[in-house]
Amino acid sequence: MRALQDFIGRVRELPRASIVAIGLFVVLGVLAPYIAPHDPNAQDLLSAHTGMSWEHWLGADHLGRDTLSRLIVSARTSLVGMCLVLMIALSVGVTIGTIAGYKRGWVEEVLMRLVDVGLSMPSLIVALAVIGIFGTGYWNMILALALAWWPGSARISRAVAVGIMNRPHVEALRVLGASPSRIYFRHLLPGTIGAVLVYATADAGAVALSIATLSFLGLGIQPPTPEWGQMLVDALPYLESVPMQVILPGLVLTGVVIGFNLLGESIALNRVPAPLARRVLKARRLAAAGWGKVGR
Amino acid sequence: MIGDLLQVNNLSVDLFTPRTALRPVDGVSYSVNSGETLAIVGESGSGKTVLNFAPLGLMPTGVVADLHGSILFDGVELIGMPESRLRAIRGGSIGTIFQDPMSALNPAIRVGRQIAEVGELHLGLTARQAEARALDLLKLVRMSDPESRIKQYPHELSGGLRQRAMIAIAIAGEPKLLVADEPTTALDVTVQAQIIALLKDIQKRLSMAIVLITHDMGVVASTASKVVVMYAGRMAEYGTAEQVLLSPRHPYTSGLIAALPVPEDPPGSQFRGLRGSPPTLGAPVPGCSFAPRCPLVLDICGKITPRMTAGAGASSTACHSVNGIRLQEVTHG
Amino acid sequence: MAEQPLLRVENLVTRFKSVERGKWISAVDNVSITLGRGEMVGLVGESGCGKSTLGRSIVGLERPQSGRVLLDGVDLSTLQGAELRKRRRAIQYVFQDPYASLNDRQSIGEAITEALIIGGISGKDEQRRRVHTLLDQVGLPSTLSERYPRELSGGQRQRVAIARSLAVEPRVLICDEPVSALDLSIRAQVMNLFLELHQDLGVACLFIAHDLALVRQATTRTYVMYLGRIIEEASSAELYARPSHPYSQALLGSIPSADPRIEATRSPPDIHGDIPSPTNPPSGCRFRTRCPHATDICAADVPPTVSLSPTHLASCVMAETLYERGPQVSQPDMPHHGSGNHPVLVR
Repeated sequence: MRALQDFIGRVRELPRASIVAIGLFVVLGVLAPYIAPHDPNAQDLLSAHTGMSWEHWLGADHLGRDTLSRLIVSARTSLVGMCLVLMIALSVGVTIGTIAGYKRGWVEEVLMRLVDVGLSMPSLIVALAVIGIFGTGYWNMILALALAWWPGSARISRAVAVGIMNRPHVEALRVLGASPSRIYFRHLLPGTIGAVLVYATADAGAVALSIATLSFLGLGIQPPTPEWGQMLVDALPYLESVPMQVILPGLVLTGVVIGFNLLGESIALNRVPAPLARRVLKARRLAAAGWGKVGR
Repeated sequence: MIGDLLQVNNLSVDLFTPRTALRPVDGVSYSVNSGETLAIVGESGSGKTVLNFAPLGLMPTGVVADLHGSILFDGVELIGMPESRLRAIRGGSIGTIFQDPMSALNPAIRVGRQIAEVGELHLGLTARQAEARALDLLKLVRMSDPESRIKQYPHELSGGLRQRAMIAIAIAGEPKLLVADEPTTALDVTVQAQIIALLKDIQKRLSMAIVLITHDMGVVASTASKVVVMYAGRMAEYGTAEQVLLSPRHPYTSGLIAALPVPEDPPGSQFRGLRGSPPTLGAPVPGCSFAPRCPLVLDICGKITPRMTAGAGASSTACHSVNGIRLQEVTHG
Repeated sequence: MAEQPLLRVENLVTRFKSVERGKWISAVDNVSITLGRGEMVGLVGESGCGKSTLGRSIVGLERPQSGRVLLDGVDLSTLQGAELRKRRRAIQYVFQDPYASLNDRQSIGEAITEALIIGGISGKDEQRRRVHTLLDQVGLPSTLSERYPRELSGGQRQRVAIARSLAVEPRVLICDEPVSALDLSIRAQVMNLFLELHQDLGVACLFIAHDLALVRQATTRTYVMYLGRIIEEASSAELYARPSHPYSQALLGSIPSADPRIEATRSPPDIHGDIPSPTNPPSGCRFRTRCPHATDICAADVPPTVSLSPTHLASCVMAETLYERGPQVSQPDMPHHGSGNHPVLVR
């Protein structure tokens, strides 16, 4: 699919730190059950609060559960949660945004005002409100966060959609008498998704952070499923005696968020092309030397 | 000619980018003196813009330019000049006009300020002096209502006015040489005529030399005293405007001139042009780069690059066919 | 002409909201033009005159406020949806920028095939055959159908765009500055293609351009537009020789010739000032603020359309006087192909 190729092409141009952080996150998340040395939920009260040891590489928490395994499995929890939220939010947002961008006129006005309302409310408050009304639970959290996230992608989709519709090759299709559904499904939607996916990926860090925040407050991922925010709140009472248990999940979470933020920045900022690498310049000069004496 | 203000001798430019190496300028020589206008004519891929901007250090970031040959400006060699000295010349004794006034002007700064900046930078004026001078310059470029224009932003001006503002910026440093890159292409025909008249007037007043880059033969005819025709980075023809426009020797030049529709052509008749397309720049081509499109092509054209050879009382041209014939004429007496 | 024109535009008005609050820009202000079967007509004017907007309004890319567009006598504004699309397909549009009018993600073959599908051709074999025929018609080898637009030159891309338009078998081609973005030496190739298509397929063309010399040679009739209004119409040859509106005269007087001797003695055209703001056009005759012959009458009323001959109309109180002056001599009788090198041409 072209949208995917487009996406991969853009990924290639990203900062290394970002790719490493995100890559690690994804790999750990996907392979978690196979990598984690211990069952994350296996309690071993005798090992509670131990520091780093051969048995527990990063120590154990207050219930003797292996921290390393919990961190790894949390990656999966976060990853899955994040993907679900984004998938739902993007589906809704892209649909609304592309319809607004295609139809223009009053349809666009109404939809965009709806988006404005959505954007004016802080995402966390929205999520808290939904969970407050409907109670805690995995799907409640996912849907609450998706509700908070869709307006942003709607706004971006609309902007991209309008840009695409104004391009001469799409205008050419209109002049040819292409049906609206052909233009929408074969040209507008694929073009928009490609661009929006990139922005969405940049936003993903914030989603992961929100999941952690809700879990920290006890409103997100419920125990026993491990999650970074949850690990943080569990270890908080023991901050003075075993600070590592608080620092570690915090550090990992920070790393993931920074990774995504760097990604977002590199997309948003138009970087000035880097000066030619010395090796490349040498190769080029060599090629030019082979051209021989200049013409007269 | 020796002693001219600008003497370009066997200039070649190699450009290196992350992806490729190319030679957009290959062995070009010409000169311009104060009060003269040299037109550099070419289509896309002719190298006409790189020719003028690379020596001034105006290549985009991420591109490295290697210059060979010599460019003497007012007796000083420009090739190899450090950036600090080039910066003093750029905007000062060499002024530039770019093709699209909207992208060349800073949209966030008022027009008057942009002109004044040049005075402050290159002539050491104070802000007040520079602003007063900006007003004078706007009057010089015949901008309507200069007192209010000076406080306006570029987007508030029409295309023709923006171009006048850019000309004001270009001459604010009292340049000896003005390099104008397609100054009228983005403008309407009626405005074009006014801008051309303006350039000629300013040239007289400041006795500047002008290098005018264009693809429009009409503009050449109304402004130039000398003409260089470029094709694929190499010179095709060089001579006075009358020689090149009225008696072109190179088949490319003839083709370009013949391509202009004239009133004598009855409506519905075929348009004249050249077959094929202008080449994309890359490594220098062995032999003549115009050969694939040339109506006078010979076997030798694919093998040996033709050299610029002067004609008696006519332009110099780099063409085997044309020069070969002349050689024959000479030997046959 | 007793026969009904193929395309008739009546009193078309297209406005845009201006950046300034509450103001409108009348890009097309009460314009009426006609295009006969197989006719080549030119529409000239400078930037901001509304010629592109007129073309776009005809094909439906802009929505006019009022006025009618009649194709074969049928008012297109009375139609909707699929019926409208089917009818309006007979009018196709060639864009100025050959680089943007093709989809970078589609190969040439795919782009033309999509046009064929829209036009109702479904069978794969039939599609392939037609792609081959179309590429042939525009002078491109059929091997090009595998390539992508970025691999093609400007001239080739423009031809592909034309082939795509021809895929739906149009009877009218509206060409918006079709060659201004192309190199000089290859403009002739595309222009001659239009002439050929006109001859072989009988397609009527509306050439929107600012290059008068080009339009004069390609068309039989020309309209001149200024700030949203048609100010003169005549046969192309006569417009060029006897422009009877001060603006047309200024336009023609501004075209530089390639002969330095003529240029040395030429005086700049008799036009001063800049184009007025389109949100606040001058009352009466819109050209009066720049016209060397303007009088008080010009500010009071919109100038009448004067019929200088059955085919020559101009909207100016001075039209007759200017017409009486006779043909303008612009070029001396000098051969302008210099040394006898006549390059063989085109395609």
